[in-house]
Amino acid sequence: MQQTTALTAGKEDYPPGDFVIWIVIYAELLAFGIFFLSYAFARSQNVELFNASQLELNRTAGAINTLVLITSSYFVVRSIAAIRENLQKQAARWMWAAIGLGSIFIVIKLFEFYTKYDEGITLSSNTFYMFYLSMTFFHFMHVILGLVILTIMATKIRHGDYTAQEHDGMETGANYWHMVDLVWIILFPLVYVIR
Amino acid sequence: MNQPHNESSVSHRGSMTLRPCTLVWLALVGLTLAMLVVGKMGLSGGNVVALLLVATLIKTQLVADIFMGLRQSRLLWRMIVTVYLVGVIGLIGLAWWLGNV
Repeated sequence: MQQTTALTAGKEDYPPGDFVIWIVIYAELLAFGIFFLSYAFARSQNVELFNASQLELNRTAGAINTLVLITSSYFVVRSIAAIRENLQKQAARWMWAAIGLGSIFIVIKLFEFYTKYDEGITLSSNTFYMFYLSMTFFHFMHVILGLVILTIMATKIRHGDYTAQEHDGMETGANYWHMVDLVWIILFPLVYVIR
Repeated sequence: MNQPHNESSVSHRGSMTLRPCTLVWLALVGLTLAMLVVGKMGLSGGNVVALLLVATLIKTQLVADIFMGLRQSRLLWRMIVTVYLVGVIGLIGLAWWLGNV
């Protein structure tokens, strides 16, 4: 969407990126919010089971993945900052670094999933694991989609498709990635830490 | 034509000043490490959970405002996310309280 003049006090009419992505982002946040609240209120009915099962999770892996996603998001911000200065090579480097970190998230999460699978844990093991596996897998799929989007963006930067004057597509993809990060920032303490 | 986007619309090349997005990243890393420590120590209780939830609210609002650029948008767009975050995180706190009283 073309951005227009600010109405008030230097504020923009619309957030950065295509307007449609914000509809997607708000819808995704709503879906994850329902997941989070379902988990939280299910836990309130069975605190001992949730606390005992939570102890079996790898908190360090969860925290490392949080740091990885936060840093990946930061790299995407830096990539956009570089494109605003028409520094295409620098922008591409930041974007590929963000993709690298996103890939590390995937590897760590697959390790966590494999560990649980190896322990014989499935969706039907108990209510905690039903939520843990479904929420983290749902998020995992969003990370994969996000990585596809970032890779397309990195390729387009290399081809010179984004400039300081026109990089709306980059803002759009970046905000999807930040949404994926934002959701994990809630998921990590909710599932791994709060007891 | 793209709108200006937060701090990154200003060139910081050659400046020793940290970009706002870098400060936000450092804050996010610090709060995440603090959460890991709390998790590793197995700390619990109302005060600990309240602190964790406030930290989560701060982290998510920083991502929305600075990384997603909502700070530069009209209040409506920012408030949708803020109301969502306060609502979801607040209800998580309520659910914890219901399960632990």
